[in-house]
Amino acid sequence: MSDNIISISNLVKRYGDNVAVDHFNLEVKNGEILGLLGPNGSGKTTTINCLLSLLKYDRGDIQIFGKPMAPDAYDIKSQIGVVMQNVAVIDTLNVYENVDFFCGLYIKDKNLRKKYVEEALEFTGLTDYKKYKPKKLSGGLLRRLNIACGIAHKPKLILFDEPTVAVDPQSRNAILEGIKKMNRDGATIVYTSHYMEEVEELCTRVVIMDHGKNVASGTSSELKSSLINRETIRIGLPNKSPEIIADLKEINHVYKVLEDGNDVVIKCDGGEHNLVHVLSYLSDKNIPFGHVTTELPTLNDVFLEITGKELRD
Amino acid sequence: MFVRIFLYKIKELTRMRSIVGWNFLFPLVLATAFYVGFGNLIKEDPDTFKTIDVGYVNTNSQDSPFSELLEELSKETDEHIQVLNVQSFKDEKSASKAMDDKKISGFYLENGDKINTVIKENGLASTTLNQIVRAYENAKFQLEEITTNHPEKIEQAIKLQSKDLNLMKEHNFGNNTSRYLQYFFALIAMSSLFSSWISTSMLNGICANISEGGKRFECAPANKLVAVAAGTLAGMLIQSVSNAIVVIYIQYVLNINIGIPLGETILITTIGSGIGIAAGTLIGSLLPNPKYHVVVPLLFSMTCSFFSGLMWDQIKQLIQYKCPIINKINPAALITDSLFIRATYGRTDTYIQNIIIMLSMIVGCLFISSICLRRRKYVSL
Repeated sequence: MSDNIISISNLVKRYGDNVAVDHFNLEVKNGEILGLLGPNGSGKTTTINCLLSLLKYDRGDIQIFGKPMAPDAYDIKSQIGVVMQNVAVIDTLNVYENVDFFCGLYIKDKNLRKKYVEEALEFTGLTDYKKYKPKKLSGGLLRRLNIACGIAHKPKLILFDEPTVAVDPQSRNAILEGIKKMNRDGATIVYTSHYMEEVEELCTRVVIMDHGKNVASGTSSELKSSLINRETIRIGLPNKSPEIIADLKEINHVYKVLEDGNDVVIKCDGGEHNLVHVLSYLSDKNIPFGHVTTELPTLNDVFLEITGKELRD
Repeated sequence: MFVRIFLYKIKELTRMRSIVGWNFLFPLVLATAFYVGFGNLIKEDPDTFKTIDVGYVNTNSQDSPFSELLEELSKETDEHIQVLNVQSFKDEKSASKAMDDKKISGFYLENGDKINTVIKENGLASTTLNQIVRAYENAKFQLEEITTNHPEKIEQAIKLQSKDLNLMKEHNFGNNTSRYLQYFFALIAMSSLFSSWISTSMLNGICANISEGGKRFECAPANKLVAVAAGTLAGMLIQSVSNAIVVIYIQYVLNINIGIPLGETILITTIGSGIGIAAGTLIGSLLPNPKYHVVVPLLFSMTCSFFSGLMWDQIKQLIQYKCPIINKINPAALITDSLFIRATYGRTDTYIQNIIIMLSMIVGCLFISSICLRRRKYVSL
């Protein structure tokens, strides 16, 4: 068996004339956290649904653990955990019963299941809320329950489909830490999101999707190193003039200078100590300046450069 | 897997407020409303049999077989029907006084071999009292003839007489034919068909194209048809219990005699629940959009119940006259018809035919549902 946990080749899924997934290829290796990044409507969830055999696709081949995936491939399904984008729990069952019910679909042994359920509740910090009905839980706790239901059976492959949408920062951090721990414990993870910060923080490799296509892939630093823009410097310049702008453009590695209100945004295509060079120029010329910030490129910049639009568009 | 899903579905469904409200409480409220509306009409309906208070005066020195017959007819049958309420009097005078005081409808005066029926007014009670004496004398004469001429057949004759006695109890007196009972039968039918949304709720948690919970379920290594079967059985059990509560409430709390042994009433209503559950499963498998999963079953239950006489008891007869096939395909009409026929005429061919049609409907709906659900291996999301 190859090292690939997931192999998707040439996947095509159409809704009428709309092509949701367009000849998409993906390989996920054992033990990695793969981030599937893309704006809303880029085809991430459709790809996940095809991967889980919840959706019939028009073309392509999907293999998980080296075997073809199908709706009745129970041996494969038994090793997969899924955390849905929307909370998928049963309102009339309490927290413990929810986790126990879904875990019971995978684990038949009663004692083992009980142990797994307790561990999942502890892992997600829900032990104190065992008897609570989902409606009594806050949004963050509900998300954690959603995760507990998806991972209680200790799957080898876990698919997270935008698990932090509408979650407060504290719960989001707890979720991300939990995912890292699951990965350390041996699970391979596919994480879809349109939050680039999360993907950058979490994922060992990133695939960027747009219009159902794989538009870029690699590690976060690989993707960013492919950019022309390497550094963005923003300076408050109330007395800016065309001469100053022209001089700034002449500084080594500065390839673009933009005016933004009282600010000037300077884009550099590489080099080192760009900020020092800019500030030296301003001091030498006795040009007064206000706040100074510098930004390293983000995955959003990668996406912007590839597609010409923002990730959050 | 089957047992776990079955148990969890029972837990899940019985905690749903809508199911507790509509399937358990609403039929009881409606039954109470019907009782308030025309409960007395049923009790006073001339078609409804009422226990006859009768006196018995035996001037002979020893007990006679007739007194044993009276004792037998004073026992309550399985249908909770007591034909006679016999009071013994020491002489004719005291019995006459009780009759004048309207404490009894009449009395039997046994003197030697002769039994006289003394009544004050003609009517159903006097006819029944006379009929009992005629039946007794006829049986006695036949037994005496057989004893004299064919003593070897005496055992067979006694068996036949005993059968006649049961027939007399069950068919001459044991029927409840009040037309107002139709409303209660239609109510039981409606309650049965309400189970159709138990099924759609049950499918909600199993099918990925209906809910997020269903999506999670279909990601698991669990056979969908096994899960649907477990859910269907759980739904049927819940509705059967609900129906049994309604029947017991009508029979024992409202004290309205349905005229059918309790066990058999529950059997009929359980089959009715099966129809509701099977129809709901079919609706859920044909209509994946959850927004129709309450509206359509509600429309289905209420339409069927209306045409079975829930709001106007004559409508079923009208349909029977104009287009009888509708009554044979309307599950609510089949349930009410089965209950009515069993209460009025016993286990007739039509009753058996209705039961067979209902069972066929259950099998048919579940079969079509299973095909729909199996074919949708890949769901549309």
